[in-house]
Amino acid sequence: MAWGEDHELVARVVSAQDTNAFGELIRRHQSHVRNFLRKLSGDMSAADDLAQDCFMRAWDKLHTYSGSGSFIGWLLKIAYTTFLQSKRKSKRYAEILEQVGHVSEAESRTHVVQSDEVNDLDKFLAVLSEEERAIMVMSYACGLSHREISEATEMPVGSVKSVIFRGKEKIRTSFDIKDHQHG
Amino acid sequence: MTSKIINMAERIKDEQDRLLESMFQSAPIADNGFSSQIVRRVRRKLWIRRITLPLAVFLGGLVALQPIVALLKGLYQVLLSMPGNLVPSLEGSLPSLQLVVTGALVLFVVMFSLNMLED
Repeated sequence: MAWGEDHELVARVVSAQDTNAFGELIRRHQSHVRNFLRKLSGDMSAADDLAQDCFMRAWDKLHTYSGSGSFIGWLLKIAYTTFLQSKRKSKRYAEILEQVGHVSEAESRTHVVQSDEVNDLDKFLAVLSEEERAIMVMSYACGLSHREISEATEMPVGSVKSVIFRGKEKIRTSFDIKDHQHG
Repeated sequence: MTSKIINMAERIKDEQDRLLESMFQSAPIADNGFSSQIVRRVRRKLWIRRITLPLAVFLGGLVALQPIVALLKGLYQVLLSMPGNLVPSLEGSLPSLQLVVTGALVLFVVMFSLNMLED
C-alpha cells in the first residue's frame, strides 16, 4: 500500500483511528526517535522502552498535532518530555531507595548506565548538561532547524541558538578542537 | 525575508559543525518488529477502551437488576393498594413486571449491538 505524506497519515489516524497508518508513521520515524533517546539516556534498552512510551503518548495526543511544524519535531518534543518525566521518576525512586537503606541497589542501577560502552560521542555528550545534550542531538543527529528545536523544547529560538553555541564551546574547550571558521 | 536570513545563517557551518554532525550521525536503527509491537499495544488499548463502557453498563445493570425489580414490585404493590377511584385508568394499562424487565433487557441488547456495529 502506498502511503502519503506524514500529515495525511496523521489525518487518517485522527479521523478513523487507523492503526495501520499509525504503524507506517512509527516505521518512518522510529529510528530518529530511538537514536535521540539512546543518545540522551546512554542506555539502549531503557531508550527503546521510552521510545515505546513516546509512541503510545503520540497515539493519545495525535489530535493535538496542528501540522504547522514537522512531524518529527513534534514527536521529538514528546520523546524529550517522556525522557524528562522518566528521569524524574527514577530520581525519586533512587531517593526512596536511599531513604529506606537500599543504597547498594540505587548505586547498581546507576552503574548499569555508566558501565555502557563509551565512545567518542559519549565523551562529547558527557560534558554537556541534559538540556544542551538534547538540543545538540536534535540539531546535529536529527537535523532539526533552530525553529523546530524551539517548538520541540518550548524555548525561544534565540535561547536554542545560545544553548547550541554554549554546547559547542564546551566541546571545543574540553577536547581542544581548533576552530576554523568558514563562510 | 527574515526567515530566509535565519535559514541562510543556519546553513553556514564551520568545521566544528561538520565534525559534530559526523560524530552525531549514526546508522539508522532497523525496525525489527518495533513498530508492530506498538501497533499491537495500540490495538489492545483501543479494544479495551471500546469494551469498557458496554461491559461497565452490563455489570452495573446486573448489580442493579435486583434492587430495580424490588423497586418496581414495591411501586406496583403501592399502585394496586391504592383505592380504585384514585387511579381509575391505571389498573388496566399498567404493564406486568415481566414485560417491564423484558423490555429493559431488549433495549439494552439492541443498544449494545448498535454500539458494536457502529465500531
